[in-house]
Amino acid sequence: MNETITNLWSIPLLIVIPILTAIVVNLLYNRGRAIRAVSIASAAVLLVISLVSPYGFQWFTGQPGVTYDGTYTFNANVFSWKLSLEYYYGPLQQIMISVMSFLLLFVVAISTKSLKKNFGPYIALMFLTYLSAAAIMMVNDFYHLWIAVEIGSLLVAGLVAASGGGAAQKAALKYTFFSALSGSGLAIALALILGITGYANITDAINSLKINDLSGMYNVLYVSFAFLMLSWIYAGGLAPIHPLKSDVYRSAYPHATVMLQTQSKLTLVAIGLVLLRMFGTLPFAREAMLSISILTMVIGIVMALIQTDFRWILAYLIVSHSGLVTVGISLGTFRGIVGGLFQAVNDVIYMSLLLVCCEMVLYFGRGTSIKFSGGLAKRAPLLTVFVILGTLAASGVPPFNGFQSELILIQAALEQGLPEVAAVILMVSVSTFIALFRAIYSIFLRPGDELQQGSERFKLPGTTLIFLVALVAITLVLGIYPQLALNFLTESALKVVFVPWVP
Amino acid sequence: MIELTLQTLSFLAAALLVIIGMAGMLYLDNLIKKLIAFTLLSDGVNLALVSLGYVQGGIVPILEPGASLSDFPNEAALIFGPGIVLTNIVIGVSTTAILAALIVILYKRYGTLKASKVLKGEHE
Repeated sequence: MNETITNLWSIPLLIVIPILTAIVVNLLYNRGRAIRAVSIASAAVLLVISLVSPYGFQWFTGQPGVTYDGTYTFNANVFSWKLSLEYYYGPLQQIMISVMSFLLLFVVAISTKSLKKNFGPYIALMFLTYLSAAAIMMVNDFYHLWIAVEIGSLLVAGLVAASGGGAAQKAALKYTFFSALSGSGLAIALALILGITGYANITDAINSLKINDLSGMYNVLYVSFAFLMLSWIYAGGLAPIHPLKSDVYRSAYPHATVMLQTQSKLTLVAIGLVLLRMFGTLPFAREAMLSISILTMVIGIVMALIQTDFRWILAYLIVSHSGLVTVGISLGTFRGIVGGLFQAVNDVIYMSLLLVCCEMVLYFGRGTSIKFSGGLAKRAPLLTVFVILGTLAASGVPPFNGFQSELILIQAALEQGLPEVAAVILMVSVSTFIALFRAIYSIFLRPGDELQQGSERFKLPGTTLIFLVALVAITLVLGIYPQLALNFLTESALKVVFVPWVP
Repeated sequence: MIELTLQTLSFLAAALLVIIGMAGMLYLDNLIKKLIAFTLLSDGVNLALVSLGYVQGGIVPILEPGASLSDFPNEAALIFGPGIVLTNIVIGVSTTAILAALIVILYKRYGTLKASKVLKGEHE
């Protein structure tokens, strides 16, 4: 894989455009139409950049190791110290950031329509959340990883607090207190890794671990692994920190939760792959990651089953499905990693579909409690169809995308001689269907006294309808032609397994 | 037996600050005290990072004219630790500001600074 030694043009743009947009919409503050125009245009530009960008690096300091074969080229597979803080944009980054850009475009379009006033700062937070997730996906050095995770945590708190209400502010405060703990842990992990290897660049640090004699250093390695894993658990909302994250998902507006859960999944993928590349060969490291993943799946799904509010159900299902993403990565095999990455892509899409449906339930003036609502299917039949399709996708029913990624994960677990993990994945699929169908029956299908009185049908707003149709189309296309996404993911999985020092 | 050098003492002080900060954040009930505990924790991490770059009898990591190039890598203090500290200070201030703002808002809403009352769960 030869790439030019010039810095890639798209990486700075993916970072700078969200910052500039955040500044502009903040200044516009209350000018609704201007904010809507600027934010939609920016989100569209980000989507185009992420789709058309070539692959390559951005170096901040130091220089790449180059080989001379007539022209100077950078060969990532040839060993050389890079000594630089760097970002990398490859196929994995492309599909993840493109999906996130697509979601941002519609989330911004929906939120600028539904919010009434003073939403400039709110949209700014949305763009900055995108920025932090994009940065976490692209970094190949511990320094930028730490900064991006820290910024991401603060932005999550900001976005939740901006959703208003005492519950949202409490969730934001709790989340920020714990983010302070995990952020400090990540800084300590960075310091320890610097102390052991002398390098902040992840490629250099992995090479240093391979080359140098580490006898007597294992205790320090384990401590740095533990601190890095703490930030993985925290930023991704894995067990036992899951109550904080589910509180955050539940308290924010559902459209904001679309961005929050996307950021979480991207963070889980990025830090998970760093953990695997750096510490994958350390005894018991993958086992520890796998245990946390299984615990997250089980706790998340059990909590989802006992909830009586559609928003809470979705919040815990997002947590539980985060475990599906990390279980694949934790298996550490080619198939496992591909399954985990594919699950992350699928998960953000079908969960977004369900979250937007939840937003529409609130938009129609209905509560999301499954105890007191009902009869919405008669008044909003189209929304009922969308929510059922989202449920089928989330439950891993063919021909939707969830089926393909969960099948790969089950195959990977069986290949590794772990049928019990495969059984847990199956159990999560079935329980997801039960938890969601319970809510759908209560809110949509069950006769509702109050709603029976009216006969007028609720109409979905145009932007939301387009978004829902697009999401359903993607779940179907990826379910029927999974290779469309897998082509982007296989190279990254191969690199993690066979040449972990290559970003 | 670990030798008690300036660097070791510095690391011990950092560990103490981190432990006090963490304990305060987890066990104190007053939100402002929790905030102060966070600043202690942050200071502890900063001290650990600065201590990492300490070199006994070392020099400032700036290459002066006429300085020996061969001795410089061994004598110069490591620059990356203090560099991270600068960033951590900025992050710490941002986090403190957000926490303080949220505490003020919640105090106005609930009229108390007790975490046990303010953060009482609404979970079903």
